[in-house]
Amino acid sequence: MILTLQTPRPLSRLPRFLPFSTNASITLNQSQPATCTSPPPPHSQILSTRHSLLSRQFSAADLLRSHLNRLNLTEPHLRSFLHLPDPSDLLAQADSLDRRIAAGEDVGPLAGVLVAVKDNICTADMPSTGGSRILEGYRPPFDATAVKRAKELGAIVVGKTNLDEFGMGSTTEGSAFQVTANPWDLSRVPGGSSGGSAAAVSARQCVVSLGSDTGGSVRQPASFCGVVGLKPTYGRVSRFGLMAYASSLDTIGCFGSSVADAGILLHAISGHDRFDATSSNQIPKFISQDVPNFLSHFVSASSFESKPLKGLRVGLIRETIGDGVDAGVISAIHSAASHFEELGCSVNEVSLPSFSLGLPAYYILASSESSSNLSRYDGIRYGNQVYADELDSLYGSSRANGFGSEVKMRILMGTYALSAGYYDAYYKRAQQVRTIIRNSFTEALNQNDILISPAAPSPAYKIGEKKNDPLAMYAGDIMTVNVNLAGLPALVLPCGFVEGGTAGLPIGLQMIGAAFGEEELLRVGHIFEQTLENCRFVPPIIAEDIAS
Amino acid sequence: MGGVGAMVKGASYSYAVFCGSFLRSPRLSFSIHNKKKKLLKFRSFSSKSTCSSLQPPDVSRLAKTAQISLTPDEIEEFAPKIQQVIDWFGQLQDVDLQSVEPSIRAETENNLRDNVPETFDHRDAMIGAVPSYEDPYIKVPRVLSMD
Repeated sequence: MILTLQTPRPLSRLPRFLPFSTNASITLNQSQPATCTSPPPPHSQILSTRHSLLSRQFSAADLLRSHLNRLNLTEPHLRSFLHLPDPSDLLAQADSLDRRIAAGEDVGPLAGVLVAVKDNICTADMPSTGGSRILEGYRPPFDATAVKRAKELGAIVVGKTNLDEFGMGSTTEGSAFQVTANPWDLSRVPGGSSGGSAAAVSARQCVVSLGSDTGGSVRQPASFCGVVGLKPTYGRVSRFGLMAYASSLDTIGCFGSSVADAGILLHAISGHDRFDATSSNQIPKFISQDVPNFLSHFVSASSFESKPLKGLRVGLIRETIGDGVDAGVISAIHSAASHFEELGCSVNEVSLPSFSLGLPAYYILASSESSSNLSRYDGIRYGNQVYADELDSLYGSSRANGFGSEVKMRILMGTYALSAGYYDAYYKRAQQVRTIIRNSFTEALNQNDILISPAAPSPAYKIGEKKNDPLAMYAGDIMTVNVNLAGLPALVLPCGFVEGGTAGLPIGLQMIGAAFGEEELLRVGHIFEQTLENCRFVPPIIAEDIAS
Repeated sequence: MGGVGAMVKGASYSYAVFCGSFLRSPRLSFSIHNKKKKLLKFRSFSSKSTCSSLQPPDVSRLAKTAQISLTPDEIEEFAPKIQQVIDWFGQLQDVDLQSVEPSIRAETENNLRDNVPETFDHRDAMIGAVPSYEDPYIKVPRVLSMD
């Protein structure tokens, strides 16, 4: 039963009638082995949280305690978080929310929703280290705009998550502090660089989380951890407060256990910000005059037509299902393509010329830009200082002491590529390759509504496997970097399993859309997800807890 | 000229195979390692001839430019890895990029805010983060040295 409350302006965005099952999140069915069929597909935790709170089925404090219990049980095994606040602070926020609900006050659309934030996104009331010793203990004097907006809409920030230092890495092993484990197999990596944020959502330690995606750092961990990862169009979400790695490529992205949740979080944090000169004024395609249209995409499968995606042209990128990609991944993507066809789409293979050039171009651009961006960490105005009698030595020692090896190497490579005499050979050529890649995507998206590919060439690999071989690690980014070069939005959702671990390892499908076309991606992704005849993507580590 | 052309073509092929070999499953790592060695040799030779004007990276000099004091051990550890990646970057030399405009970033509008100063409300928190502060100065060691 839905209580009728006075709905304030933010709430009016939500349909008054919740069109799908309103079971609260903690009555999920027990996860079953990867080969079985259909417990109900995931629906929106955010919307069911809202329903539970407004109908007084549960209190915000109850929901918080339930998540914190699970977090405390799983965290020693996962190590997703670099910082967890005092639980009494969080309970105070939850209690305050419960009082406001009881008093009939307006509460925002993210009220009571637990959000984890990647530690390279600034939070004023919690340390923000960027995964680096050079910022160990640093407390920013401001919140990132994305965090500020989520909090204004009622979200509770449950902690700061682990990452590869400054976003440089694909495994989260590059953190200066700890290695996060994959909830599906504790001996495997969660992916990177937003591994902590992905693992936290995967293990239901929180409801949704924020990450950053510069070359795939939201999408690849989403694939490895079996959750939904959404990278918005460059310029959709303000980068103010995101510690800059490569300014022309960085984006803040969202993780959720369903497409709807990732989409609702994105909606909350998007929009122009005067503190980010690259943030767009363009009215997103999902904020129209008739705002409820956005959420009305997330309807229950029972209301779908028989071919709900009829007429949609899907392009499968040929270069992503060939040599060098795991057979299990290729098979999962082909199954996904068949699923699209069942939904009424026409699926064709499309070739993106120069696809493979994107990887070296990306690493040239990213290393170069990072060498410039990380020059601010000099131990003078913030961060950890190693004192020396001369300024140059102070810089040199503070940075040598504070940065890890991968960061040092990328700074050195970037310094080389930008050196006088080399700029034309490397950086400029990489920018030209960027133009070629952008144009090839534009052309492909003229002939197709969305493009699909795997999010990674393999499932999650073992911790330590790629540690000493930079090129082997970089090679895994082949599926994701071109999207950053082109600045396009992309959604990754779990579409199947391969063997490994105790219950299989998840595989993510990447869907790429036209610039500012997030609404279409979310609409299509939601339909794909809700009709997928497969199991819930709930990792075995929490299966029992979820069932009880 | 034909000879150099052939080497350039060969270089592109070897780069593509090189990248491809890294995309294979790690179960094949032993054979990849051998392949890698062979390809590395071929590549460094060809990259010298296609980019003969570019000196290979001098890690100590780069470290000085980047203001990072590396230990000799670190220099020894990083140099081959950096060399390997820079070589791999070199494959862009073989691409025909004439008349392609460089893109700084994806298409965005130029949204500058008004050039009006504002007061920052959390000055104390900002000052609190400074490692070495003596009101009202941020303390630094001497800037000029004799050498």
